Amino acid sequence: MEEFLANPAVQGGLAPFLTAFIVAVALSPMRLGGLAVIAAFLVCMHFVTGIQFTPLTATRKILILAIAAAAIGPLLDFALTPTRIGVALIAAGAAGGTLWAFWPVILQKPAMQAWLFGGSAAVALAFMVGFAQAQLAGDGIRVGAAALALGLGTGIAAIFAGSLSYGLYGIALGAGAGGFLLPQMIRGEKAAAGATFTVPAILIGGLVAVGAMLLAQLPWYCVLVLALVPVAVRLPGPGKAPVWLQAVVFSLYGFVIAGVACALAWPSS
Amino acid sequence: MNPLIVGLIAAALPLSAAAQVENYNIDPQHTFPHFELEHLGFAILRGRFDKTAGKFTIDRAAKTGALEVVVQTASVTTGDNDRDGRPRTRDEHLRAPDFFNVAEFPTMTFRSTAVKFVGDNPNAVEGNLTLLGVTKPVALKIERWKCGPDTVRTQGKRFMCGGNATGSFKRTDFGMKFGAPAVVGDEVKLWISFYGFRQ
Repeated sequence: MEEFLANPAVQGGLAPFLTAFIVAVALSPMRLGGLAVIAAFLVCMHFVTGIQFTPLTATRKILILAIAAAAIGPLLDFALTPTRIGVALIAAGAAGGTLWAFWPVILQKPAMQAWLFGGSAAVALAFMVGFAQAQLAGDGIRVGAAALALGLGTGIAAIFAGSLSYGLYGIALGAGAGGFLLPQMIRGEKAAAGATFTVPAILIGGLVAVGAMLLAQLPWYCVLVLALVPVAVRLPGPGKAPVWLQAVVFSLYGFVIAGVACALAWPSS
Repeated sequence: MNPLIVGLIAAALPLSAAAQVENYNIDPQHTFPHFELEHLGFAILRGRFDKTAGKFTIDRAAKTGALEVVVQTASVTTGDNDRDGRPRTRDEHLRAPDFFNVAEFPTMTFRSTAVKFVGDNPNAVEGNLTLLGVTKPVALKIERWKCGPDTVRTQGKRFMCGGNATGSFKRTDFGMKFGAPAVVGDEVKLWISFYGFRQ
């Protein structure tokens, strides 16, 4: 059993997927099925590095931000009315959280790199989270597809960048999104995603990509390409087609962009 | 005894004691911390750090000493530095967050807390290793120790000490949990060759 659980495919794929599927099915009636994605991420983190908060490294700050986002998401859905200012605040929070997580690493870079990496990270996260919350949160299929493509794309790109652990975090996010999408595809009806799913899912995807850039060797422009995944998923599609077909088509939209990021992440020499 | 003489003797004592303390700077060109650990449960994999700096002091009369070493974690090498069609080499992977996380923790340090002597020579060093922001005690055994003039390179103008030290620790104690123990073993054995030049 220990050997089975030590397998990276189990840690980053199977276990997060099963966990997310169970959470999505169990909590969907309460409109909390979106918590599937944070459950998947926590399971992966538990297996790969353990859930610890000291010393407070960048990776552990990602964990804290992911948990905070999972707490804030339902609050936004159930206690607050969505407004443009609210979306702007969420985007600003994502950028601020990113800079907080990676500030000690950014400070160690030469000035030009610090501006480039810090700027790319903050802009990418603000855009991704803000756009997804404004444009995708109301559609459980589109935002699920965005998280699926973002997670798998980030994970594979992170592996190419030299970090298997960040690769597994990304793939676990994709697996979690898959666990959220599958019950919708089986039932043939869309589930509520809202900020409960959108904010933690897109935030985790962006933070893992930024971590792979700053701590491994993911090129900065790959992060910006990955930030376009939510935009690709927003493109017109078969809105009246069966739910499973919508999930496939919108995921393919996202995979195209994620594939470009992965191709760019493969080193040229 | 004349109080003035007593005073002079008392004032001179710390100077004579201080004169016993020898200060050495570590020779970075001949000091290499090597490490070995189990790989995939089959072979033992060895690697080393190419950039090490530090200093040590010895007081032979008082049989005390101190050691401080700073290792640049980005200088880790296991001999696999050619991508050869792969996206990254093993050495690049070792620098990533999975292992040494060099972007966030560019150095690891060892600071002694006690130096034990057997006869006139230091025999063991107890201290704290700081790796990945975690500080834990690690003991080093000095297996070979010799001091004398550097006759080969400086015609005896420079005095040096050199030798080998060994030790071990569990990498998971420092939060380096990736792949442990199935892919990459938990126990890290250290073998360090060192030189220091007297200042």
